[in-house]
Amino acid sequence: MKNISDLKIDEEAVVVKIHAKEPVKGRLLSMGIVKGAKVKVIAHTLARQTWDILSNNTKVALRDEEARSIEVKSIYE
Amino acid sequence: MNDEIKVAIVGQPNVGKSSIINALSNAKLHVGNFSGVTVEKKEVFLKRDFYDIKMTDLPGIYALNAYTPEEQVAKDFLLNEDYDIILNVVDANTLSRNLIFTMQLLDMHKKTILVINMVDEIEKKGGFVDKSKIEELLGIPVILTSAKENRGVEEIISEIIKVYKTPLAKNKIFYNQKIEQRIEELAKILRKSPHFKSYDVSRFMAIRLLDRDEDVYKKIHDLPIFIEAHNALEKMYKDLELEFDEESTTDILANERAAISYNLQMETIDVDEEEGSLSEKLDNILIHPVLGLPIFLFFMWALFQLTFVLGNYPMNVIDTIFRETSSFLADFLPKGIFNSVLTEGVLPAVGAIVMFLPNILILFLGLNLLEQTGYMSRASYLMDGFLKRFGLQGKAFVPLVSGFGCTVPAYMAARTLKNPKDRIITMLVLGFMSCGARLPIYVLLVSAFFANHNPGNMLFFIYIGGAFLGLVVAKILRTVLFKGEPEPFVMEMPPYRFPSFKALGMDLWIKTKMFLKKAGTFIAIAAMVIWFLSSYPVNDKMVQNYNAKIEQTTDVSKKQNLENELKAKSLEDSYLGSVGKFIQPVFAPLGFDWRLSVAVVAGLSAKEVVVSTLGTLYAMSGANETSKGLVSKMRQNVDFKSAVALIIIIMIYSPCLAAMGTFYAEVPQWAWRTFYTIYPNVVAWLLAFGVYKVLALMGY
Repeated sequence: MKNISDLKIDEEAVVVKIHAKEPVKGRLLSMGIVKGAKVKVIAHTLARQTWDILSNNTKVALRDEEARSIEVKSIYE
Repeated sequence: MNDEIKVAIVGQPNVGKSSIINALSNAKLHVGNFSGVTVEKKEVFLKRDFYDIKMTDLPGIYALNAYTPEEQVAKDFLLNEDYDIILNVVDANTLSRNLIFTMQLLDMHKKTILVINMVDEIEKKGGFVDKSKIEELLGIPVILTSAKENRGVEEIISEIIKVYKTPLAKNKIFYNQKIEQRIEELAKILRKSPHFKSYDVSRFMAIRLLDRDEDVYKKIHDLPIFIEAHNALEKMYKDLELEFDEESTTDILANERAAISYNLQMETIDVDEEEGSLSEKLDNILIHPVLGLPIFLFFMWALFQLTFVLGNYPMNVIDTIFRETSSFLADFLPKGIFNSVLTEGVLPAVGAIVMFLPNILILFLGLNLLEQTGYMSRASYLMDGFLKRFGLQGKAFVPLVSGFGCTVPAYMAARTLKNPKDRIITMLVLGFMSCGARLPIYVLLVSAFFANHNPGNMLFFIYIGGAFLGLVVAKILRTVLFKGEPEPFVMEMPPYRFPSFKALGMDLWIKTKMFLKKAGTFIAIAAMVIWFLSSYPVNDKMVQNYNAKIEQTTDVSKKQNLENELKAKSLEDSYLGSVGKFIQPVFAPLGFDWRLSVAVVAGLSAKEVVVSTLGTLYAMSGANETSKGLVSKMRQNVDFKSAVALIIIIMIYSPCLAAMGTFYAEVPQWAWRTFYTIYPNVVAWLLAFGVYKVLALMGY
């Protein structure tokens, strides 16, 4: 099982499932990070603690915990 | 009488709502607070074609599943207040995400206008927004605007009037058959209650209940139909979750809305996503894993330099104006109590606060610029990893650093923290960041008791020590008071935008007005109280004795000494002096005499007062932190252990009255106010006592 923190910079993937609990989940959903949405990793900090991802023209910053909670699959699957 | 049209302006954050409001011509802007909370409420008043239009700008809200206090305010307004039209502003660049929220609004089936802002950015990329198709698909009027180019803004007003006059159109947004079936079923149960007689209200409430909206659930909790609705709801949750293979009906609805929105965007906006936009290029440098942090620290350093260097010039001017005015009034007004209160108590105190206005404005201008350009969210992104270790959030960095300047704007800067827990923890430890007013006290004590050490290093150690202690306390507060999961961090990073000078200017003007209002009321009253306590009661006999002695001596320096002695004796006999003696037992374990005790307590009114009080109490002429006399007097009267204890007390205990007043204004809960008022003083005393005892054991 792959999640966002397994992606490399500039790698794209499709969201399979969001494992985060409410209210984080609701927040992610309202930012357009839903099942089937395409996400791309733009950057992460040196210690890989904070992630910057692009989904549907919106950039979202996430902590490592939240990045891990978003299960993704390759766009070619 | 004109007809009044009430409009609620709603939209997700960063869609350019305020720039649309600023672009409206002939509009009167009124800024206040939503009742009971410190969330800014902007109201716009307009007159057109015999209509009075009143628009309320609601705080940015991502979804009706409210998350932050500001979102809750917006949601409560939408659900409970009386208004005629919803003006939903969305960003053309992120239409599908914005439309997810629009779907939730359309569930209400109220008169709604969709304003698609920033269309110029789509057109610049060679794209096109199909307005009539969106109107057809959503069943509501659509206006394409660009607040930047002042396009379509006036059209909003004419559309509001038009929509007000036409009856509500039919709802066009429907969910999956399986969900619609449940909505109908639940709405039918709700309609049995007189609260939800109308079809639209019952449908909306049913959707909210299926969305697991706790606010709406509470609403039906005390109704007779509750049991029936609750049982039906429980079954629906279970069945739907099984049918859709999802964990929660909330997810099912979110997926539905996202799918409708995504399709709508695909059908109506035609634009090629270009790579390597300016935003992207800026981010390559500004959030670079290695360079990002130093660049950010440089920006911060520059901002504080500007704040305190540039702010110094008007500061001196304001100081002079206040001093001149009080000395003029002291001579001009008849002698007496009113004269003294005004010229010795109120004016100097209000002046001392208003003096900080330039600093505060520059700091806020800088912070607003960072926020408006979109850089602030990058800064939070960069700092989050470090601050997380102490249970704080990336965004907390800005208020924390502001705290080194002045705690008052720092508390206000904490507003940028949207999560209430993050905000309260940050505000509770802000006092540990030693403010500028405490510097003179440190300078005095360091030069008196650490003469053999490099004073610069000592000061640096005190400041860094305070900050570190603050972070440790934040960690403790997080683990003790807010047990459990660490706070999540999910934050939009909006594209970089050029700031609007009109909006910046407006914001500064509002801040200035509010600040002056506070200085004129709260601070003036506090100053009056302190002045009274330190001036009364007057021992007439003693004053006469001293005055006689002063007249007899010819030696100028002796005269000066006698005058200071009189001041010191009067202060000792004053109510404030009695307070000092009364509280001295509290400070006795730290080796403080009544004078140090009074100085510490007086420092609660303003930290500047500590040095001047010590100066008066140890009866030195023209006492300030550099005067050699006070330094040596301090050395004779206070031992080393007590001096260190005093430094620790000053570092930690409650900030000044102005700061405390700001905290009270920002935090409405009495529990937090009480905790805030007590805990720093307890921590300060315990730590000072511990260090005092350790030093005693070490033989100092």
